[in-house]
Amino acid sequence: MSIALRELRRRPGRFVVATAIMTLIAILLMFIGGLLDGLTKGNTGAFRAQRADFLVFSATSQDSLVRSRIDTAVRARAERAPGVTAVGGLGSLQIGSRVPGHGPRDLVPVVLFGYELAPRGLPARPPARGEAYADDVLRSEGVRAGTVIRLGPQRTPIRVIGFVNDTEYSGQPTLWGSLGNWRAAQDANRPGSRVGPGVTQALVVRGGTPEAIDRATGATHTVDAAIRKLPGVSQQESVFNQIIGVTVVIAVVVVALFFALITVERVALYGVLKAIGASSGTLFAGVLLQAVLVTLAAGAVGAAAALALDAVIPPGGIPFTTSAGRLLASVAFLLVAAVIGCAFSLRRVLRVDPAAAIGGAQ
Amino acid sequence: MFLALREVRRAKARFGLLTAAIALLVFLILTQQAIQNGLLTAFVGAIERQSAPVLVYSTDGERTLQGSVIAPPLERRIRAVPGVAAAGRIGQSTFTVRVDDREDSDAAMIGYDRADLGAPDELSAGRLPRAPGEAVGSAADFSLGDRVRVQAERAQGDAGRALRVVGLARDAQLQVTPTLFVAWPDYVAAVEAANPDVKKVLPSALGVRPAPGVSAAALVRRVNDASEDADALTRADAARKSPGVAQVRRSFQVIFLLYGLVAPLVTGLFFLIITFQKSAALTLLRAIGARSAVLVRSLLVQVLLVMAGGLALGVALYAPLSQMTLGSITLRFDPGAVLFWSVLLLVLGLLSAVVAARRVLQIDPIEATTGGGAR
Repeated sequence: MSIALRELRRRPGRFVVATAIMTLIAILLMFIGGLLDGLTKGNTGAFRAQRADFLVFSATSQDSLVRSRIDTAVRARAERAPGVTAVGGLGSLQIGSRVPGHGPRDLVPVVLFGYELAPRGLPARPPARGEAYADDVLRSEGVRAGTVIRLGPQRTPIRVIGFVNDTEYSGQPTLWGSLGNWRAAQDANRPGSRVGPGVTQALVVRGGTPEAIDRATGATHTVDAAIRKLPGVSQQESVFNQIIGVTVVIAVVVVALFFALITVERVALYGVLKAIGASSGTLFAGVLLQAVLVTLAAGAVGAAAALALDAVIPPGGIPFTTSAGRLLASVAFLLVAAVIGCAFSLRRVLRVDPAAAIGGAQ
Repeated sequence: MFLALREVRRAKARFGLLTAAIALLVFLILTQQAIQNGLLTAFVGAIERQSAPVLVYSTDGERTLQGSVIAPPLERRIRAVPGVAAAGRIGQSTFTVRVDDREDSDAAMIGYDRADLGAPDELSAGRLPRAPGEAVGSAADFSLGDRVRVQAERAQGDAGRALRVVGLARDAQLQVTPTLFVAWPDYVAAVEAANPDVKKVLPSALGVRPAPGVSAAALVRRVNDASEDADALTRADAARKSPGVAQVRRSFQVIFLLYGLVAPLVTGLFFLIITFQKSAALTLLRAIGARSAVLVRSLLVQVLLVMAGGLALGVALYAPLSQMTLGSITLRFDPGAVLFWSVLLLVLGLLSAVVAARRVLQIDPIEATTGGGAR
């Protein structure tokens, strides 16, 4: 074991390229994972922020917020469902907004939400007409408390009265106001999507059971299920995870290749060590230790690079985000790859014959 | 050459592992290239396929059909711009539909009031709609004769708008969703069926054709100068500048760059290590008269063999996968991408062997007598 550490200390050059390759693979894993997390975060924030048990869509909407229409009769049925303690309407409008200081063609895409049951970070009572809370991503566009944003072709004014975080939807920052605000902005700017009095796109429900609410409405989901049904969320997760999987397999092959070559180089040395009493287990543990240390070094540099990347990417550039969980998971994947890769060298270590070493036949 | 091949034969596991690593990298790069291309086509294919040479959105639409609304005053102003030979309404919405007796699914619908300004520019099968209730569908999602029912809001109490697919257009999806092209009255009827509260259906964009002697780019400038609320783009720009397209390209470019770096580094490291391991043998060969050029050539032959093997294996893995569809994304075998990445990785692989080749060139035959070659 100490020989393995000593070799790493005395001949670091031998491990530099392997560490560089593993670092690149670590960056790749962290970048791809960060992209997935960034995309998911930006698409799902508004739903994740809901303090509710269920989200209810209209039966023919395919769980699409934009297409869903819940009228007052459906809402009344949901409110009467056994166990339901609170029901609130939810509406959304994706629209271009004019922010002071931006050019006349430099619009900021936003999603205006109208709510009744407050999501996380918002006051229980929705803001007054013409006012809204803004997702703090909008700060990077120069929006401050008191800024008046004008929505859509009708320039519907909305005054920002505070901020809330992690509520992006469909990759866009959000504004949170009353249902009246939403309805007015929708009717004024999207005549093709106007809604009648009392109509909302979805219901946010606390209490009850999905079966009971479903009997009243037709499409009830837990918040987690509604998130998975958002367009593209589960598909992109599956594609990205497959890419991450193949990248881990590449890491296994790289580690296997590198340590197989190093082991071949050391066969004579291992023969001598075995001849003076070292066990195969000790020798393999040394190889494993080197692989783990190389991987940890690569993981550390990769994590630093991922954090630096996160810091330098401008808002709206690439949907990339880092989290401790993602970085640790990537390092864990690489460590598993390193251990599996090293196992390819085990057979050769076991086959080393000390007698041959003494005889100089290696 | 003989030595190079013999060494590969005798160390199958080592060279096999390297070839497998290269093959996996090639497979991943090509697969991701196919996903990127398929994703972009499914994202904005309908924009590229529609027939209007210039599309005019409202500035507030942020260059998306689903976000843009052309109000009547803006429509009048655009139609009056000098150089506009013809303009047609284009509407877009996404609906819940039922195709024949299958389960409900999503479909984007593009309505046009002039076939030469909004309908698909080319059909892979069938014909354009001639009668009410006919539609052209994206070829990846629909078949000729499909009966598509646009699901109406339940409160409406009717069964929704029925359409029959009479034509198919290749690569004509919008927002990664099955897409239908219909005449304007059918589009209006579908919107009204889905939302009983709608009072008036306005176009999402205008398709515009420039007058003779006016280029599409010149017309774009004139329309944009005429109103701050109009955002005119040529057809190609409308696809290229669609929100998300540049973001997807940038994200994939970073991934390609990283994979592109890993492949030559792995190859370079491998050949450097085995060159070190063979130092003694190479020194002996030099001492008995083998020229450096022969040894370097052997090294390069091995690099070529490994890279070619990895590329062939990677392409062989990619070929069947490229015939598949991922959800609504149609993957396609892209010979251009195969050629580009093969040449690039081959060149990078050969370049990566430079360090090992330098090591071979530095070998001094005299070391065979002093034991230095084994160092």
